[in-house]
Amino acid sequence: MVTMNKLGRILMVEDDPKDVELTLTALEEYNLANEVIVTRDGEQALDYLHCRGEYKTRSSGNPAVMLLDLKLPKVDGLEVLKQIKSDDELRMIPVVVLTSSKEEKDMVASYKLGVNAYVVKPVDFHEFVNAIKELGVFWAVINEPPPGSVRK
Amino acid sequence: MARPNLELQIARSPVLRYGFAVLSVSVALGASLLLERFQFRNVADPLFLFAIAIAVWYAGTGPAILAVVLSGLADTYFFIEPIYSLYITRDDLPHFAIFILFASLLTGFAAVRRRVERDLVQARDDLQIEVAERTQQASLLNLTHDPIFVRDMSDVITYWNRGAQELFGWTDKEAMGRHSQELLQTIFPTPLEDIHGELLRTNRWEGELKKTKADGTQVVVASRWSLRRDEQERPVAILETNNDITERKRREEEIQGLNQELAKRSADLESINKELEAFAYSISHDLRAPLRHMAGYTELLQKKASSVVDEKSNRYMAMILESAKRMGDLIDDLLAFSRIGRAETQKTLVSLAQLAREALTEVRQDTEGRDIAWKIGALPDFYGDRSMLRVVLVNLIANAVKFTRPRLRAEIEIGCAEGSRDELIVFVRDNGVGFDMKYVHKLFGVFQRLHQSDEFEGTGIGLATVQRIIHRHGGKVWAEGLVDSGATFYFSAPKPQGHLW
Repeated sequence: MVTMNKLGRILMVEDDPKDVELTLTALEEYNLANEVIVTRDGEQALDYLHCRGEYKTRSSGNPAVMLLDLKLPKVDGLEVLKQIKSDDELRMIPVVVLTSSKEEKDMVASYKLGVNAYVVKPVDFHEFVNAIKELGVFWAVINEPPPGSVRK
Repeated sequence: MARPNLELQIARSPVLRYGFAVLSVSVALGASLLLERFQFRNVADPLFLFAIAIAVWYAGTGPAILAVVLSGLADTYFFIEPIYSLYITRDDLPHFAIFILFASLLTGFAAVRRRVERDLVQARDDLQIEVAERTQQASLLNLTHDPIFVRDMSDVITYWNRGAQELFGWTDKEAMGRHSQELLQTIFPTPLEDIHGELLRTNRWEGELKKTKADGTQVVVASRWSLRRDEQERPVAILETNNDITERKRREEEIQGLNQELAKRSADLESINKELEAFAYSISHDLRAPLRHMAGYTELLQKKASSVVDEKSNRYMAMILESAKRMGDLIDDLLAFSRIGRAETQKTLVSLAQLAREALTEVRQDTEGRDIAWKIGALPDFYGDRSMLRVVLVNLIANAVKFTRPRLRAEIEIGCAEGSRDELIVFVRDNGVGFDMKYVHKLFGVFQRLHQSDEFEGTGIGLATVQRIIHRHGGKVWAEGLVDSGATFYFSAPKPQGHLW
């Protein structure tokens, strides 16, 4: 079992509340949900990363991993990814695209922008839970995040 | 060309010409002496003048002078007192002088007349030659089918060849003498002054003109004008050659129209394709999300409530999950199918034998625990998109595996059939449940299934995908089958160009 003090902070960018709930449920099932920040669009996610707007007073440090949906209101996922990977402060954050889309062009675009992993959300809930679990375990626990990441 | 006559025959030889002069004077002398014998008086002078006239006429000026001298001597010697001497008395001197003067005048006039006549003959001959040349040139212009006419600087038609008659419908007699503009009602692409300006500057002009024929219809002609100038460089005539390009123009316009139509259709197709792409993206993303939520919440419900609800309710939840999964599969297959239509094909020479081995590996999961006799014949190389052809073989082989499931011992054969010279035919044959040939037309349609889904699973897109891929390779797909006796699926494609090397 994963020990709590090693858990990294997860930043989730997801506009669909049902997806948020299902993802959190999946993470909870494996005790990975205690440090998940949920942002609902690309702008909010960037505000969080840059500690501005409503996140002006948040505790500093980058998340250990970022779960990024592609289809987002305001600033879409690919644009968020592009901004992160072209920012010296942020480019080391591991970004996992977590999306419904199996479209090849999204995949190609994401990898070109330097995404760290690309996961298509399975329709089957079992598979979905497994995927979230493995993602959470790998990126929040097993993977050694870059210096400056928040760990609990 | 000159008339053949005595004068020119004599003129050829000086000896003959002078001899002729001597002869005519001698004849005149003889005749005079003879007539004197018969008491005819004063006949010598006219006879000598006559001889001189004959000599000047037929033998030329030189012999005529000789004739004058000889006549003078003969006259003096035989007919002027004292006879038989060359002495002339004072009384006879005027007579003799008048004779000589008259003879000389005669000679002179005749010489001038001859010269004039010779010039006239020469001029006539020259003219005849020129006329012949012109006639030949004109008849040459008549030989060509190109419509040619000539008009002078006041636009009056002066020449009209047969080609012009054939094109415009007026004979040369009808056209010549008329104003060409009035006759042909030419429509010019640019102001006539510009055309004439260019013609005067460069001596030529070319362009497309519209003219009206005798029957009132319009023709489009490629017109070439050449300006003719006289020796003083003054423009005198315009030669106009007109080639009928009405049909060519019509075809050009037709082609242009077709091209425009084609461009428009391409643009339409492009936008439809874009829409389809957007549609596919939306299916991929937006339709899958609610499906995932349905499955997710149902599973959460199942987890929470399975112990408190009855068996029926549990079955309902299981059915919801199964349907959600099936819809997920349908969406995935449909997207894969639409992607084949949109994707670019990257064609290379592909070894079907290698692809078949890969396909067998891919279906291994479904063949575990089954008794299948594989018979794989020699497979040719195929010119096509490797990943697409792989999909074809995987689909056909997976189908064969699926539909032989009720057989204790399945037989599946993959081979190459005899095709025409430039065509390859590959087949996959099985001894499975087969199908009724009555429904063969439904086999390759999207979502078409010939078996109930609890009998054989599947979305009904596999064969439609196969057909789409083969069509994109310029080939055909077809099938033969018999209920309970197996099925054979064929696909064909043009042989690779390098196959014969």
